[in-house]
Amino acid sequence: MTRFVENSIVFPYKRSLGPVIGAFMTGLTEQRILGIRSGDQVIVPPLEWDPQTGAELDPDGMVEVGPAGTVESWTWVPAPSEQHPLGHPFAFAFIRLDGASTPLLHAVDTGAPDALRVGARVAPRWRGSRVGHIGDIIAFVPGEQPEVDGPDSGPAEAPVTMMDYNASITYRNPVPPVLDRLREASRDQRIIGQRCPVCERVYSGGRGYCPIDAVELGEEQDVDLPHTGTITNFTIVTPVQYPGQTETEPFARVFVLLDGTDVILPYQPVVELPVGEVRVGKRVAAAWAPPNDDIDDAGAMGGAYGHLIGWIPSGEPDVEDPDLVNRIF
Amino acid sequence: MRSLRDVAVVGFAQDTAVKDRDRNEVEIISPVVREAVERSGLKRRDIGFTISGSCDYLAGGPFTFVSGLDAAGAWPPVKESHVEMDAAWALYEAWVAIQTGDVDSALIYGFGKPSLGDLHEIWTLQTDPYTVATLWPSMVDLAALQADVYLSSSGRSDRDLAEVAVRSLRNAQRNPYAVVSEDVSVDELLGRPVTHRPLRDTDIAPITDGAAAIVIAADDIAKRVCERPAWIRGIEHRVDPQHLGLRDLATAPSAAQAAERAGVNDGAIDVAEIHAQFSHEELILREALGLADGVDVNPSGGPLTSNPVMATGLVRIGEVAGRIMDGRAGRGVAHAAQGPCLQQNLVCVLEGSN
Repeated sequence: MTRFVENSIVFPYKRSLGPVIGAFMTGLTEQRILGIRSGDQVIVPPLEWDPQTGAELDPDGMVEVGPAGTVESWTWVPAPSEQHPLGHPFAFAFIRLDGASTPLLHAVDTGAPDALRVGARVAPRWRGSRVGHIGDIIAFVPGEQPEVDGPDSGPAEAPVTMMDYNASITYRNPVPPVLDRLREASRDQRIIGQRCPVCERVYSGGRGYCPIDAVELGEEQDVDLPHTGTITNFTIVTPVQYPGQTETEPFARVFVLLDGTDVILPYQPVVELPVGEVRVGKRVAAAWAPPNDDIDDAGAMGGAYGHLIGWIPSGEPDVEDPDLVNRIF
Repeated sequence: MRSLRDVAVVGFAQDTAVKDRDRNEVEIISPVVREAVERSGLKRRDIGFTISGSCDYLAGGPFTFVSGLDAAGAWPPVKESHVEMDAAWALYEAWVAIQTGDVDSALIYGFGKPSLGDLHEIWTLQTDPYTVATLWPSMVDLAALQADVYLSSSGRSDRDLAEVAVRSLRNAQRNPYAVVSEDVSVDELLGRPVTHRPLRDTDIAPITDGAAAIVIAADDIAKRVCERPAWIRGIEHRVDPQHLGLRDLATAPSAAQAAERAGVNDGAIDVAEIHAQFSHEELILREALGLADGVDVNPSGGPLTSNPVMATGLVRIGEVAGRIMDGRAGRGVAHAAQGPCLQQNLVCVLEGSN
């Protein structure tokens, strides 16, 4: 059975809006929908540039449209996703707002698809608390009259210049069999590599193929790797508290050249080695988690290296070799 | 653009699956690249340029395309490039590189494993980030809106959509790389539920993991290694505005421009492979490309039956080239698309005789 690791990636974008989209967003907080003049046209949502000529459009040429408009085309969303604007079935529609030359994409809330048709008249249902975001309009609803959902907290106090956009995508990644094999071996305190049958280079970390010869590597190519090595390079990371970062103090990631091989294990954690004492040439040995400990699949190290939790000073004297620092591959 | 140097497709390979659970991207690409190179008759180390097309959002990691290069063999160092586009655009860049005289041959590959995430939501991220992406219309939501616009302005009905789906599903029965295929009648299909008004599930390309690779070569090299090379007679790409409201969604102006510039109708077309991920897109593109009624469109079953994202457009070129190389067709057109509602379009005209 294939195992899966599920992870969600959040992209917490903060976008600056500029003179035109900023004015559009500020208008939304005032329950006004703005377009921009481009020749004879009124483009909604507004653009900074004429789409035909590329000429700059004048932000002073912004005009109010709607608030009501006509549905030009629509589709029904029977099972909304978590990120869709409404939690119950709704329509996405192109709506030509009164006075606009182009249709606006937005949600239309009619409860059921048979209540909607091309040519239907709709008006915005405003959010009571508006921040300058297309979602300040919860949806369009049938009729000519706009409405406000809940108590109206009024327009923004200052022009809106920034916008948050938190995109999130969830992935289910299958764990390749080679990784499971390496993880199981790590329970017995073994570090498994794989030797390419063509060039005889040895790869670590469950790569599953030789990038030089472009051939796949199977179980028959497995070899045991030594448990001692030398630090060839390192970085000290001062954690920035972005979403998902669990470290709070500066920490080291080191590259370890395993004894008697050409194998470099990159980005390894260290154990009982203060960041101030990490240096090129330092001798280290593998540190292992107890065999019965659960290993976190999703962690940067857990997937590939299993019970190998990092590298601990071996107490041997440093290796003095000026070329060591170049060994990162 | 018309060519300064004659360039031909000399090798093509592909592989697909509904969900390729046990293999990562590199393991999916490796055999495909190897097969395309073997078929080309060129040695890997003699190919002058390597370029791929893929999308990092599919795997959810930065620079995932770099690991894809492991499948192509990049040591000793090779001249290499990448486009965050369907690999048909990678082929365009490779074709330009050969035009400059910089290189004489190229390996192009594309790959995608959309089963890892939610493809239809991921494509939302390529829409306008201020007023569109924030509402999260999925790729299917936007396509359904386009289908509604098209049907109401063309006077066609969902029977026309069903006819496209039925022919695609039947053709797919002869394609080992199709992930869906079926012998079904139009009436039977019209009895199935409309899932994204006006579209049914058979009008929507299936989620497909896969990869494809093509080898192209110039002039004498192509003639030396290939008995009947598929010569690229014209290749062009164009883009429409991102603002969905600025376009008449019932048409694909950038596809029409690209087709005209590529010289699609400078001669008779035997076969067309079209990157239509929705039934109505095929109808819009037939018009944009100016295809006659008798043209054999998507004999492979097309993207409605096999859609290895980021390679689907390259597969279109490969499918047409394959039919030319084995003598089944004399002249054909391949089309690739990217972006919501056919925003970006590439057209490639291929021919057998020199």
